[in-house]
This record gives sequence, structure tokens and C-alpha cells, in this order.
Amino acid sequence: MRTSFLRTLFFMLLANSILNAGGILDIKWPELNQAQQKAVASYPKVLSEGIKEVRLPVYLSSSYVDDQNMIVVSNKDFYSISFLLEGATLLFEGDRTYQEVVSVKNSEFQKIVQKLKPVEFSKSEEVMIAQFNRHGANYSISVECEKPQTDKRCTEEAFIRGLYGNIILVGGKR
Amino acid sequence: MRFISIFLSVFIFTACSQKEEKIPVDLTRKGFSYYPAGELAPVTSGQGRKGDNYVYAPGIRFPIESAPAYLNSQVYGVGGYLGPKGSLCSETNYAYPWHDNYCEKRSKYNMPLCSMGTGHQGVDIRTATCEKKKYYAVAVENGVITSIGTYTVQLRGISGRTYRYLHLDSATLKVKRGQNLRRGQRIGLVSNNMGSTPTSIHLHFDMKQTIKIGNSSKTVFVPPYTSLVEAYKRLLQGHP
Repeated sequence: MRTSFLRTLFFMLLANSILNAGGILDIKWPELNQAQQKAVASYPKVLSEGIKEVRLPVYLSSSYVDDQNMIVVSNKDFYSISFLLEGATLLFEGDRTYQEVVSVKNSEFQKIVQKLKPVEFSKSEEVMIAQFNRHGANYSISVECEKPQTDKRCTEEAFIRGLYGNIILVGGKR
Repeated sequence: MRFISIFLSVFIFTACSQKEEKIPVDLTRKGFSYYPAGELAPVTSGQGRKGDNYVYAPGIRFPIESAPAYLNSQVYGVGGYLGPKGSLCSETNYAYPWHDNYCEKRSKYNMPLCSMGTGHQGVDIRTATCEKKKYYAVAVENGVITSIGTYTVQLRGISGRTYRYLHLDSATLKVKRGQNLRRGQRIGLVSNNMGSTPTSIHLHFDMKQTIKIGNSSKTVFVPPYTSLVEAYKRLLQGHP
């Protein structure tokens, strides 16, 4: 009874501390050097047009920036850029919105924040995912395989680590 | 006054949840009943997020077009690879009450909101009958399709929340990347698609959202169960 009461009280306080107020995260914009600015100008139209309204820094793996077959879905708050590879789908996403605010006194989320890493590699329903936060926005890279049990891109981290390792800033509007 | 109100809320809520833990709740007259959020079955299937009744996605539409639907474990249910022997189509699997399976044991999936640190990132839902490619999954809110993989379809709602629909039949999908959807619009038929290795017939549904705390933020898979219970009640009552 006592445990149940404390548990319920904990989640009542959690629910109370979640203000259910979504909004836009503060973006700390990086400065582009000349070489980066020059590179941005040379990207394929599908990319430059697709992200022209996006109001957060856009990251993409350098191996794929010139791929004309990319599919871009975006608006000012997010982007989603996907590539159909042989036997797999590759997805780069970025988002500047949040849906909930939690009090800094919330112990559960304090622990989550304390454990935040620059990048986190994990699996989600056999989809390999890299998740990271930069400039205040949230990003992810996902690889989904047609043969998730045997394709090394989805069974080992090497491929996704490689993708994360060579991401570059390709645009975004202040 | 506020203190008294909070105290009373906690007291009443506690009393109710004590009752809920003993018997499933049936608030409709259509036989629908469900165990409280976080009550996983069997108990060896993991530690659910008991007591978290917060509706993370208020007002969403139920992700399967028509009732009945049954939310329970694929892994630990009859015929599941860690469940009692029998057919995946056993009547036991296609019956109320619902059982939450968010945070069910999955050692490889990072889950900051599960006490083990890993776990099932969404919930599994069976359709009315054990037949694939018969029942439609639909958009839970207005949004845009951001990604279609071999066995996942991703919808970004206007709320900014991301919903994933897994195991739909890829050959008959009703959507394409970049397509704007209205709440309730058909996405695809629930099946057993998981690329080269089929799974059981069900919809895996999960919800990801960003939570801000101080100057930090984190995108996490949040518990869908309570939101789905509310959505399902609306569906049963005829105003999904």
C-alpha cells in the first residue's frame, strides 16, 4: 500500500511537473567558414531546395550530399532526408521543437539529463539509430534493413558510426 | 487551498489505482476492459511504468481504423517466442482485457523511461481477427509522412510528435514520403512484415517526442498506453 502510494505520488508529481507546453528550442548557430559556404552552394538542387525553409542547422553524411536520389521532407521546424540504398533505407533527421517541459527538479529527468552523451548508438525494432543533440536541436540517423537479422549495417554499429563520423553541416536558415 | 486540492487528488487517485490493480477496468458497455498502465503480463516480461497515467498524446485517433483491437504482448502471449505454447491466433490473444507492453524486456533497445534502461519502445496491437492485410492502420493526427522503410512508416504529427507504424504490408501502402495526411486517413494494412524475417500479425506503434528540461532536451519514446486507452474509448463510442 505504502509503495503504491509513493509510486502514485511520484507520477502525480511528474505529471504535475510536465507543463504540456510545446515550443521551439533555442538554437546556437555555428559559424560557417568560407570553404563550408562554398560547398553549400554546390549541393544538388533537391537538397538546397528541400531544406531552404529549415530553421535549424542541417546535417548530412558527406558520403551522401551529392546523391540526387535523396528524398527531402521538411518545414521550418524539422527535416527528414532519406536515401534508398541497396537493401536498406537511410534516414537523417533534425528537429527544433519540443512537446513537453519538465521541471529541473524532476529527479527522473535529472538523471536522464545527467546521463546524456554527445551521441548515443542503439537499436530500435532492429533499426540502427544514432541520436545526438547539437546547437540545441535534436538529430538522428537511422538505418533500416530489408534483412535486419543478417545485414551488417543493422547488426553491427560500424556502418552507423561511420555515417555519424562524417556528418557535415549542409545548410539551414537562421 | 491548492495544497488541500492536490492532497485530495492524490488520495482519490491512489484509491482508484488500488482498485484498478485488482481488476481490469471496463468503462464502456462493449466489453472493453484493460489493466492499468505499466501492468505487464506475465510479471516476468519486464517492469512496466506503473502509475504513469499521463496522457502524452491527448486527443489522438486510435491507430487502427476499426474496433475491436487487442493490445497485448506478442513475445509473451500464446505462441510468442517466450510465451505459452500454442497458436499465435489463439483466442486468448484476441480478447480483452488489454495489457500494456511498453517497457517489456528488450535488452538492445535503449529506453531512458524504463526502469531497466532498456525495453520495448512502443506497444503491440492485434487487429480484430488473426488475418493479415485486412485491417487498416490510420493516421493518429494530422501530419506528414517523413519516412517509409522496409517495415516502418513514420508520421510526424503537427504536434511535432513522431509516430511509427511497423509491420504494415509494404506492397499496399496508401501513402508516400512527403504526403500530408488528415487524422484518420488510411496508411496501410496491418500485416507481419519485418523484411526478410516475418513477424506475427500485429501493429507495433510507438511515439517519440522531445522533452525539455532546463537548457537541455532529449527525444524519447514516451508511453503510448494511456493515450491509446483514451483513443480506443472514443472509437468505441463512435466519435474517434
